[in-house]
Amino acid sequence: MKLPSVEYEAPTAVAEAVGLLDEHQDEASVLAGGQSLIPLLALRLARPAVLIDINGVAELSGLTVTDGWLAIGAMTREYVAEESATVASTVPLLAAALPLIGHEAIRSRGTIGGSLAHADPAAELPAVAMALDAEFVVSSRAGDRVIPASEWFEGYLSTSRRPDELLIEVRFPAARRGTGVAFLEVARRHGDFAIVGLAVSLTLADGAISDARLAFAGLSDVPVRAPEAEEFLVGARPSENLFEEAARLATAGIDPPADLHGSPEYRKKVAATLIRRGLRAAVADADERW
Amino acid sequence: MAGIVAERYTGASIKRSEDPRILTGAGRYVDDIKLPGMLHAAFVRSPLAHARVLSVDLSAARALPGVVAAFTGAEVEAMTVPGPDALMALMGASGPSPEFTLLATDKVRFVGDPVAIVVAESRYLAEDGCDVVEVEYDDLPPVASAAFALEPGSPPVFANLGDNIARPHSRTEFGDVSATFAGAERVFDFHIDVHRHQNVPMEGRGCVASYDADLGVMTVYAATQSVHVSRIAVAMRLGMEHDKVRVLAGDIGGSFGLKIGASREELAAAAAARAVGRPVKWVEDRGENLTASGQAREESFDVRAAVSNDGDLLGLDVKVVIDTGAYPGMGTMVPSIMQEMMPGPYQLVALGFESTAAITNKASYVAYRGPWASETFVRERVIDLMAKDLGIDPVEFRRRNFAARTDPPAMMITGRPLVGVTSSESLDRVTQLVDVPAFRRRQAEARQRGRYLGVGVATFIEAAPGPRSPDGPSGPMGMESMRLRLEEDGIVALFTGQMPHGQSHQTTLAQIAADEFGVPFDQVRVVVGDTDVVPFGLTGGSRSATMTGGVALHGARQLKVKVLDFASHLMEASARDLQITDGNIWVRGDPASAVPVSEVARQAASGQFADVDANLEVQATFDGGEGGWSVGTHCAIVEVDIETGLVEIERYVAVEDCGALINPAIVEGQIRGGVAQGIGAVLLERSAYDQDGNFQSATFMDYLLPTACDVPRIEVEHLQTVPLDADVNFRGVGEGGMIVAPPTLVNAIEDALAPFGVRIYEQHLPPARIVELIAAATAGR
Amino acid sequence: MDITVTVNGATHSGCVEARKTLADFLRDDLDLTGTHVGCEHGVCGACTVIVDGRPVRSCLMLAVQAAGSEVTTIEGLATDGGLGPLQQAMWDSHSFQCGFCTPGFIMQATAFLRAHPDAGERQIREALSGNICRCTGYQSIIDGVLLAAERSRQG
Repeated sequence: MKLPSVEYEAPTAVAEAVGLLDEHQDEASVLAGGQSLIPLLALRLARPAVLIDINGVAELSGLTVTDGWLAIGAMTREYVAEESATVASTVPLLAAALPLIGHEAIRSRGTIGGSLAHADPAAELPAVAMALDAEFVVSSRAGDRVIPASEWFEGYLSTSRRPDELLIEVRFPAARRGTGVAFLEVARRHGDFAIVGLAVSLTLADGAISDARLAFAGLSDVPVRAPEAEEFLVGARPSENLFEEAARLATAGIDPPADLHGSPEYRKKVAATLIRRGLRAAVADADERW
Repeated sequence: MAGIVAERYTGASIKRSEDPRILTGAGRYVDDIKLPGMLHAAFVRSPLAHARVLSVDLSAARALPGVVAAFTGAEVEAMTVPGPDALMALMGASGPSPEFTLLATDKVRFVGDPVAIVVAESRYLAEDGCDVVEVEYDDLPPVASAAFALEPGSPPVFANLGDNIARPHSRTEFGDVSATFAGAERVFDFHIDVHRHQNVPMEGRGCVASYDADLGVMTVYAATQSVHVSRIAVAMRLGMEHDKVRVLAGDIGGSFGLKIGASREELAAAAAARAVGRPVKWVEDRGENLTASGQAREESFDVRAAVSNDGDLLGLDVKVVIDTGAYPGMGTMVPSIMQEMMPGPYQLVALGFESTAAITNKASYVAYRGPWASETFVRERVIDLMAKDLGIDPVEFRRRNFAARTDPPAMMITGRPLVGVTSSESLDRVTQLVDVPAFRRRQAEARQRGRYLGVGVATFIEAAPGPRSPDGPSGPMGMESMRLRLEEDGIVALFTGQMPHGQSHQTTLAQIAADEFGVPFDQVRVVVGDTDVVPFGLTGGSRSATMTGGVALHGARQLKVKVLDFASHLMEASARDLQITDGNIWVRGDPASAVPVSEVARQAASGQFADVDANLEVQATFDGGEGGWSVGTHCAIVEVDIETGLVEIERYVAVEDCGALINPAIVEGQIRGGVAQGIGAVLLERSAYDQDGNFQSATFMDYLLPTACDVPRIEVEHLQTVPLDADVNFRGVGEGGMIVAPPTLVNAIEDALAPFGVRIYEQHLPPARIVELIAAATAGR
Repeated sequence: MDITVTVNGATHSGCVEARKTLADFLRDDLDLTGTHVGCEHGVCGACTVIVDGRPVRSCLMLAVQAAGSEVTTIEGLATDGGLGPLQQAMWDSHSFQCGFCTPGFIMQATAFLRAHPDAGERQIREALSGNICRCTGYQSIIDGVLLAAERSRQG
């Protein structure tokens, strides 16, 4: 289980990295934290001609809050975001999801941008990005463009990033007053990818739900929202009956995949369970937070 | 580091002498060996379960820079002496012998079957070489299940056998089976499945083979449970005299039955080393380990049980089909052990036992910790199922049916005496520790709140080594040898054929010998892992506590007699008046006479004593003495989340009787480690194949081992009830945890799900399956 | 590629292929075989080392990426040929059996205890859940970490 032979470039600036991507296009893989890419290389399932290692691009790391958005540099390590008070206070859903990513040593190297660019549909951060309508900033020779989360995830391990583009930043909207969050998942073991995961963000105003966001991991080849359930929740007051109906709506039309860890029926049942538990937890979180 | 001193070492949790090197990264595992000019091997492996090999083209690999050589299966056969699987031959397996080659030649028989070996300057380059090997296959219908294998029309995996039967169907009866079943008030029928899972030591298989053409000597550094068994395999297959093969082993990163002798790949690597004239290292990676090293269990059982309405267990009639995988080995031998162990500690009037072993296109069935364990699973599962139907408490059902501890001991219906078997005591103690009545109250209260708790018990007996047979002259597990020598520097050296791979023999054997001989613990050295200096032996089968502990005790005693004899000349005293304590020899009653053992050793080595036997060495053997059983009952309390199927083990208690403890901390480590593997088997681990024989668990993302969050604290209490032997009452403890944890846990899970009427007839219960079981049980309501 | 890495306080320069993992570089090029390779795809934790203060899986990092970094391996923990405090606590607790997973556990636990000296059992179990031991059932390992933490609190 050794990596195949590969050329290696280590740019130190975004412009340089983008130039290399322009040169090599889809012959290249971008190496960020490497926690997903290196296993694929070791298994020889990925065989890029060139690795463009962006670990030396200092300008890609950092957390900044502006105009109600938290902007995270793509190379920001997961542990840095996990330990950040800024992340905890501005985007609590992200803070709730981060500790569930793999294990401590994985988060030492793993990056926010890397996980989102890898786009594993069972991973935590893609579900968070979907739930919050995050924005993805990519850069190429032609300039920068911003891609909404709803257009970012295209399929299994596939995004709308073009081969000549580099993901440089991800922006998450700051939580509004009255918002409670939860990230729940059912996994075979602590630290494993979720069989089903759920990102929940509920905003409560005067005891009623003013905004509801539900995004699943592990139910499709991309992270998916539950629009009917979200719509149903908005305007209502939290109750067990409400959550029950939301769970029904959220799972009515879904057709989850089967794998070693669970059948479609199992995933569907767990998804409904997570909706009920997630809504309960998010309401409790809002109560505690505000 | 300060020396370890104790009044008496045996029985104390002496800190391990292995640890200073292991804790500092100074352990030496096979992958740490680096020889001058060493090359690295990698294997081209079959992506198909069953196919004819039409051609293997190595030219591109051979042309790759850094690749030194590459060999096809046919070329490896030409470089070696054909023969059957070495382990099968050693164990004297009977029956027809399937064609056996080190690498696949005319056909591949499972996903991962090695087809060619590439030898290169680094493992990276060897894998590059494998990438460009072109193999042409012609697909054959895969034999992906034992049921299909036994169908008359299934394509034979081995042409020379003509069918897929590895062990012909056999039936044995003890007592009057038909009369017992005809007369029984109740007869139950069950079908129970045990799934395929596997050893997965953290270090895979591996070796470094080095051939000295001038001397004609092959040296193999191996990861093995026995350097001698490895040597036999290497010598046989390479066509060499035994004394021209030397096998060495250092630290070994676990095995659990996997590394008995040298595997096909290791033998191919040794053949390649001889052919290229440079040392060759092969250390399997995790993909190879999961795919090709071997797998275990996967048996299906049809069980009939005859009982009275009051819960007297009268008879069992068991039919087992074993899926041996592609190259039959251990799978053909296990049914005999299952049959012998089937009654467990229970009194039966009759037992019928039938078995068949089927060849399939999966990785080969290998020994895995408690190879016969499925019989315990089935028995302990069936007891709970029947107890429920009869309305009897499962604990009471067991208590009622245990053979009474009598003198002379009750006999298992299959022939061995249940001497010193304390199943009843361990059951009583474990239920007392858990306080089952209090739990039942808590369980009822929790159910009111929609929480599902369950309690389960299961009991096992383990022949570790087993009782002395009343009619046999020799001991229960053959003989164990040891060479013991007082070295010139006063070190008592024990040369043993045991090949520890986590069992801590370097500590435990030194404890026993230090006490018996009379030197401090640090003055005993346990030498392992070199065919040139250690006697024949094998670590496995939970035999070493009794067999090797015993030979260490008797050997140290013999060596002491010899040393005192010699010292008596030196000290001008009668040997009878001499004693050894704390490393000093002295005349009883005269402390001033004390001479250090090291001084006596120095004198003996000086060559000045022509008329006296100054060769302070003995060769000891031990037949196991009275032997005995290791016995225990475990109890688990679980909570099942019925919406997600996740199981939390709230409490786990083990009460075990393995006789006298050599080192309690080490014993408890063995028990806990075994239980952890049992927990893994039930909740996490499965060697999964799809219906076409494609292997689906080839990474650690798919083959799930339990982690620190999955294994609870395991409470252990020891009973030491019945000394059987005058000196040696240590009994093995390697396998019991793994044997009894699966039924303990499954019994607890079924108890938790009792409100839904769930009945469980299988061992593997991942969350999705638990949810399915609840849905199926409630659907009919 | 030419790289310079500080390992256990000593500076090492070498020439490595880009594809070589840090684990293989430590083992093959520097002969620091205490770092074990258990799965090579980032799941078992056996190869964990400390890079610039953080626990890292050395099979999921290229050697070239360690250029300029400070790496600590199991060989760098012992003091004066003896045992460090965590190693000592693990010896006292009979933490390990075959020893293959040991270096990874010790490096992970070392990094974790530095950041969380007051951690309790639950936290320790979670922090070590990315390291697989096949022998012990973990209890003895957890006990070793708890003992080390307690001793360090008592000074």
